[in-house]
Amino acid sequence: MISSDVIRGYNDTIILYLLLEKESYGYEISKRIKELSDEKYIIKETTLYSAFNRLLKKGFIQSFHKEQTFGKKRTYYKITEAGLLYYKEKCREWELTKEVINRFIKE
Amino acid sequence: MNTIINYLDNMFASLPKSAEMRHLRDELLANMEEKYHELKQVGKTENEAVGIVISEFGNIDEIIEEFGVSLEEDRVTNPLLTEVEVEEYLNTTRKSGRWIGIGVTLCILGAAMLVLLLGVIENGYNEISSETGTYLGLIVLLLFVAIAVGLFIYAGMKLEKYKFISFEGDFDLSMDLKNKVRAKKDAFQSTYMIVMIVGVILIIFSPIVLFTMMAFNENTANFGVCIMLVLVSIAVYLFVYFGNVYAAYEKLLRGKSKRTNEREEDRVIGAVASIIWPLVVIIFLISGLVYDQWHINWIVFPVTGLLFAMFSGAYSILVRKD
Repeated sequence: MISSDVIRGYNDTIILYLLLEKESYGYEISKRIKELSDEKYIIKETTLYSAFNRLLKKGFIQSFHKEQTFGKKRTYYKITEAGLLYYKEKCREWELTKEVINRFIKE
Repeated sequence: MNTIINYLDNMFASLPKSAEMRHLRDELLANMEEKYHELKQVGKTENEAVGIVISEFGNIDEIIEEFGVSLEEDRVTNPLLTEVEVEEYLNTTRKSGRWIGIGVTLCILGAAMLVLLLGVIENGYNEISSETGTYLGLIVLLLFVAIAVGLFIYAGMKLEKYKFISFEGDFDLSMDLKNKVRAKKDAFQSTYMIVMIVGVILIIFSPIVLFTMMAFNENTANFGVCIMLVLVSIAVYLFVYFGNVYAAYEKLLRGKSKRTNEREEDRVIGAVASIIWPLVVIIFLISGLVYDQWHINWIVFPVTGLLFAMFSGAYSILVRKD
């Protein structure tokens, strides 16, 4: 299990990556994170929705309502142009971070 | 599942009840619900499922920071009402509304009985003298009023326990419960509207009955008045009973800030009512007993009723404007 402190700066990246795949809603995204990380990272509800709020405010994602198959209204999110640019920037940032941190890591 | 709802509501209890927060709470609940059901499906026990869902909720401080919500200042932590308490409150107001309604109806019916008795005597069934008839009618009226007062006191005592809801407003509802109450109120709304319309129609219709009867036969005036009063009493019962039930929903849903004005308003109107109505009864009795004006003095009741309705309506509007 990864501690939420370590991964904090990359929650936004993770969410944007999943929204690049397809538009989605809260629970589906947290489930995908759990699956793709082989259950090594489980995002907390509050963390997820703080991130949504932050990304919405910066205009990186948009929200809209969608009826689900069984009639429940859900808030869905989709990525914007600006969100895509930000995601690419974060990817480059990670490459750099990884490279730098790796120099200080001894097996 | 209830544990999860309670947990979530407790987490949100200290946050402002804004539309944004309500929406967020509903979203979180939907997610947690879905997670809970999936866990149950893969064979987790109730406790395990609830435990996992709650452990993965996170920290509400994150929400407070990110959404920049300010915690409500000078927030007195009022006790959260439980669903059972809300049910009991609604039941009690319903019952006491019925008692108060019956009481008011009895007062009007008592007057109707008096008028009816006088009418019977006037129309020649005079085995009893009109004086005896008057006293008989008065006894019936006073008996009915006595029963009514008993009912008022009984209903008042029943409601005493819920003073903190009806008058002080020192309580909070969880969002879930608020939604439930709101749904109930919405379901009740159409019944309430129809009943109020029926009541108003009865009131408007009642003098028409009197005038029609008098147009055909002068001597039926007393019976006309009697029917009119019966119609009025039915309408008043409807107003009191359904009005009480509706007010109970409103009181549960209303925020505290709005309530202070209303409390003042309730108190003033209540004080005026407690002076006016006994005064009217005294006027009614004196004008009847001393000046023998029984044939016309019943008019003080509908007139006072109208004036009082005008007063309380106008007063409410004036107070609320400030």
